[in-house]
Amino acid sequence: MSHAARRPSGLLLRSATLSYLSVMVVLPFLILTIQAFQPGLTAFWKALTNPFAWHALKLTFATALAMVVINAVTGTATAWVLVRYAIPGKAFVNALIDLPFAVPTVVTGLMLVVLYGPTSALGAILGQHGLRVIYETPGIVLALMFVTYPFVIRSVQPVLLEMDRAEEEAAATLGAGPFTTFRRVTLPILWPSILTGTALSFSRALGEFGSVVLVAGNRPLATKTAPMYIFGEVESGNLHGAMVVSTVLLASSLAILIVLNLLQRRRGGAS
Amino acid sequence: MALGLALPILGPVCAPAGEPGSDMLTIGAYSVVREAFHDGVLPAFAEHWKQTTGRTVRFEESYNGSGAQARAIESGFDADVAILSLSADLEKLVKAGLVDSSWNNGPGRGMIARSLVVIGHRVGNPKAIRGWEDLARPEVGVLYPDPKTSGGARWNINAIYGAGLLHGDHSKGLGPGADAARDLLARIQANVVTMDASARHSMANFMRGTGDAIVTYENELLLQRALTGTDVPYVIPAATLLIENPAALVESSVDRHGNRAVAEAFLAYLRSEAGQRILYKYGFRPLDPALDVDAARRPLPSRIFTMDDLGGWNRINHDVYGDGGMWNSLFTQPALGK
Repeated sequence: MSHAARRPSGLLLRSATLSYLSVMVVLPFLILTIQAFQPGLTAFWKALTNPFAWHALKLTFATALAMVVINAVTGTATAWVLVRYAIPGKAFVNALIDLPFAVPTVVTGLMLVVLYGPTSALGAILGQHGLRVIYETPGIVLALMFVTYPFVIRSVQPVLLEMDRAEEEAAATLGAGPFTTFRRVTLPILWPSILTGTALSFSRALGEFGSVVLVAGNRPLATKTAPMYIFGEVESGNLHGAMVVSTVLLASSLAILIVLNLLQRRRGGAS
Repeated sequence: MALGLALPILGPVCAPAGEPGSDMLTIGAYSVVREAFHDGVLPAFAEHWKQTTGRTVRFEESYNGSGAQARAIESGFDADVAILSLSADLEKLVKAGLVDSSWNNGPGRGMIARSLVVIGHRVGNPKAIRGWEDLARPEVGVLYPDPKTSGGARWNINAIYGAGLLHGDHSKGLGPGADAARDLLARIQANVVTMDASARHSMANFMRGTGDAIVTYENELLLQRALTGTDVPYVIPAATLLIENPAALVESSVDRHGNRAVAEAFLAYLRSEAGQRILYKYGFRPLDPALDVDAARRPLPSRIFTMDDLGGWNRINHDVYGDGGMWNSLFTQPALGK
């Protein structure tokens, strides 16, 4: 333990920070969970297995899963290109990557509707080939891909930057092709950071509302995601139904983040 | 309802109530009347109040989805006058003890404006839309908002439901009744492209080119000319619902603000010939049919019905939108005859 941590000021700082965390994060989550379970376990189960709630949750998890698979591949590739290749205007490209974080999510939805909507040129061409994006499931995945775009790139990039390239060079001199080198040497080093990026993307995607509400179409048992279901139930006076689904979303995010932290800690301890 | 409309629009900081020669009136209204009120009725009433009493009246305005506005007033927003989309929302305020239970006994039975549920279509009517049945045809993309979040959507869906309930479903040879209502609604719902959070949002999507037809209120379509400069052609189905929008005094706010005189005068003005003419200019149908000078060009349909004909809001909210109601069953059970 460091010297600073044992001083009374350190104790004060620690308790202040933890109290702040409790007030900002734990308290709202606790209240929500208590309210969701207040009418009893049976009522909770009934609200959760309501066909509309259940479908909305399934859709949210399925679209988030599709998004992370795509993001894991494209995000790693983007980070790779940014670190290993010379690109003109690299500083500008780097700034662009974080832009999806700065765009209000409603604007994201609007941009996607204008670009891929049934009335746009691109949307019309896609529609003629039987691929409808906006107001269908692909639109939801697209919106999630946009809002979570930076996560994988930003967690893989620093690892790639700090990586000792001697191992890769050794593999190459021993006759391994570039693909084998990547698979056997680079990927095992990158793997934890890819996982971190996808886990953050996934939990971010579970709660995404602003962009999805504009592109999904909001049709019950078809394109209504869990956050949209929650919004509809709040507006039509079914607070309990909304809280039950919210609790499930939050608990899933929490579980993902806890597992992620444990994995990182184990790795940190081993190295 | 609409996220964009959820923020109350507050007028400029006003002189405190009670200042000599000046009155203050807080308006809690549903979002659809925003233009008609802000640009039409409120300035005209201020003028009228100045002429009759010599006093100045200032307004604080809030526009929100009808259900959300009712909830806001219920939980403490001190509007002097509530103008809502449906009487079911006003009844919530009666139940909360904020509005007198006799609100709908006076002139106009508590209503201030009327409209019709109609079908807007594209210029030249390429899909040949004449009535509800045409919305159920394949290859017709339909827009209306989500009844979970929009009171307006409930008017629209009730119109389709009522057409089936009271007049049957001719393509299926179903006589009037719940089966016909469900069948018509299920077949139209199958053609719905997107269900937006509010009527305004649906309209914006339609104006951007989404869908072939939009089910909405006549006044919302007529307002598009002023808002966007384009006319939206529409048809009035032979059997459709008469929309009636209520307004009432919020007793608790008026007592606290001590402005009963101006609040009562405002409600009376809304129902007066002058007030009705302004609402008419903004696309609403007047309470008094004699003021409907354009009626020859857009006559009332032959089989018009009201919420009372459908059994009232309480019954519809239970039978159609309640747990296990018809609306949910459209999605959980396949349509009849399909």
